[in-house]
Amino acid sequence: MKVASNCAAAEILAGAIALGEAGDEQRLAYREHLSTCRHCLVAIGGEREIERVIGIVAQARDQERWQPDLRRARARVPSHSYAWKWGAGLATAAVFVVALVATQRHAPVVVHSVATQDLGSVAALSTQTFPQREGRAESLAFTGAQAARSTLTFEVRLDARGKPARCTVIKHSSRASLDAAVCNAVMRAH
Amino acid sequence: MDRTAIAQRRTEVLVLEHQTKLARYLRRMVGDAEVALDLTQDVFLSAYRTLQADPARELRVGWLYRAATNAAISFMRRRKILHVLPLDRDLDRNAWRVDEHGAESVDLQAALARLPVEQTAALLMTSYAGYSSSEAAQILGTSADAVRQRVCRAMKTLRHVMNEDSNS
Repeated sequence: MKVASNCAAAEILAGAIALGEAGDEQRLAYREHLSTCRHCLVAIGGEREIERVIGIVAQARDQERWQPDLRRARARVPSHSYAWKWGAGLATAAVFVVALVATQRHAPVVVHSVATQDLGSVAALSTQTFPQREGRAESLAFTGAQAARSTLTFEVRLDARGKPARCTVIKHSSRASLDAAVCNAVMRAH
Repeated sequence: MDRTAIAQRRTEVLVLEHQTKLARYLRRMVGDAEVALDLTQDVFLSAYRTLQADPARELRVGWLYRAATNAAISFMRRRKILHVLPLDRDLDRNAWRVDEHGAESVDLQAALARLPVEQTAALLMTSYAGYSSSEAAQILGTSADAVRQRVCRAMKTLRHVMNEDSNS
């Protein structure tokens, strides 16, 4: 018979008893330890006490009634950090477009489209993988099947020097704040 | 069928089978239902990406719990919280009282809030999620004895809290 020689070993035995993994030998070793260690007797208790305490956790588990609603989580308002990231992505795309425009100064008007689903996989994933839970925060501005297919189309008018003079959103994406972010970036690009 | 379609189908199966238990586990880990929902979805998103990268990979439920535990610990560290958050919603606070109207009424969530996160994970992984100490050890990246010891130490704290409650 192996007797728990110290309190750390007794803790392991008590854990095994709590989880229903202790055999007779281990239970006996634990009892032997308790007979010589008042500290463990007070702090952990005997086998019956261990089973009572762990039984409360099991009882709580059995009484659990909460039904997680993942759809609700998807519908939450996107966090600013996520919105900012998506906005930055769109803005970067817009700056790229303006850079292209600047190389062709003879063209006073440029119309370009940015497909939102090209900006990342999360929006597409949200709609393709979990169509029943569309509208979740991770999908951000482009949540839902419709939004994932949405396209932001904007027009940039250049002045005589080839600098952006006006930006007009022709076809809105699903979020006005992102539309504005694109145009702001375009206007600041030069 | 391309790898994206395979990943989607396999992720859907995982979601349908495990979302409830996983979300409940996370809720008890972080002590907040809304955060638990977010973390649960992060776990499944991570699973999807893993399967998309390697459609042949065998992704078991233990992987989900490992990812969930890591996500919960990361969340709490990000919030600079070393222990489980106390519940701040009445609905949650009442949702895990054991024997609510009896003499042994115990606010288990409040008791969990007093535990170090490693002990919470060991206790919930075994007595709540139903894993053996060996299985939990694999998921948590430690030994079975360490899991048993953590469970014992968690019980010590729970017992102490319960005694405090009954004396107050």
